[in-house]
Amino acid sequence: MTRLITRLYPRAWRERYGAELSDLIDETGMTPRVAIDVARDAAREWTSQARLGLAGGGSMVIGPAWRHPQLWAAIAFIVLAPTALFVLLSILAYQLGAAWLVDLMDPVTRWMQSVRIVDLILVASPGIALLIAAAPLLRLEVHKRESGREAVLGVRLKAANVIIGLLALLIGTLLVGHILAESVLQVGG
Amino acid sequence: MSDFQPTTDPGLLLMISLAAGPKHGHAMLLDVERFAGVRLGPGTLYGALSRLEASGQVEPLPAEGRRRPYRLTGAGKAALEQRLGNLQRAVATGIARVSA
Repeated sequence: MTRLITRLYPRAWRERYGAELSDLIDETGMTPRVAIDVARDAAREWTSQARLGLAGGGSMVIGPAWRHPQLWAAIAFIVLAPTALFVLLSILAYQLGAAWLVDLMDPVTRWMQSVRIVDLILVASPGIALLIAAAPLLRLEVHKRESGREAVLGVRLKAANVIIGLLALLIGTLLVGHILAESVLQVGG
Repeated sequence: MSDFQPTTDPGLLLMISLAAGPKHGHAMLLDVERFAGVRLGPGTLYGALSRLEASGQVEPLPAEGRRRPYRLTGAGKAALEQRLGNLQRAVATGIARVSA
């Protein structure tokens, strides 16, 4: 529990003071008051780190994402997979006329339309997958210039993240396009 | 123990504690509670300690087992004297005004 709560701190702070803080908590005892105190100070350290970054010369990344881009790409893929499969089967069944698939897809589509949350998850998942895939690629740098502070968004390229990000973007665009087209047809009809 | 607490600024309390000699985290916590009546939380203590170290006012000593003592630096001692001087002037002014 003690080791877990020190993980609330930024990595650099934790590497320097984490063991000492854990020992002190072991000596004083872990109470709700101690937990709140540590959580409050961890939040203060994060704020302080972000402020230092914004003051100039620093760069900000989402630490776990930056260190494990392939893991985040895998998570994005898992989030995207059901929607990707549904879109692929829908295209095969309704656009390319694979009759054997229509019988399979019709009940699924009807069920999804009756359970709104599934519909919502299906539409939202490409956006969520895009964010998860892209997070390890982004780094915000703030530089001090004579004209003022300048924020630069750096992008690194990791093949798996880029491919899944683009796939999520494509599927999201197809879904939104489909929803808009249906809305227009309904209004028109 | 009196309800009056001379200050609750954890950085100042730690510097006063370290002015008596090097101490590790738990010893500082007990010392501050003894002389100021303030029970610092572990997060508050290490938060203040890390800021004091970053500003060069305290420095770590080699670890003794699992514990690492800290001591006041020369710059820290000068800063503490200045802060206590300011506090002393504020207290003297306050006492003079309420006594007038």
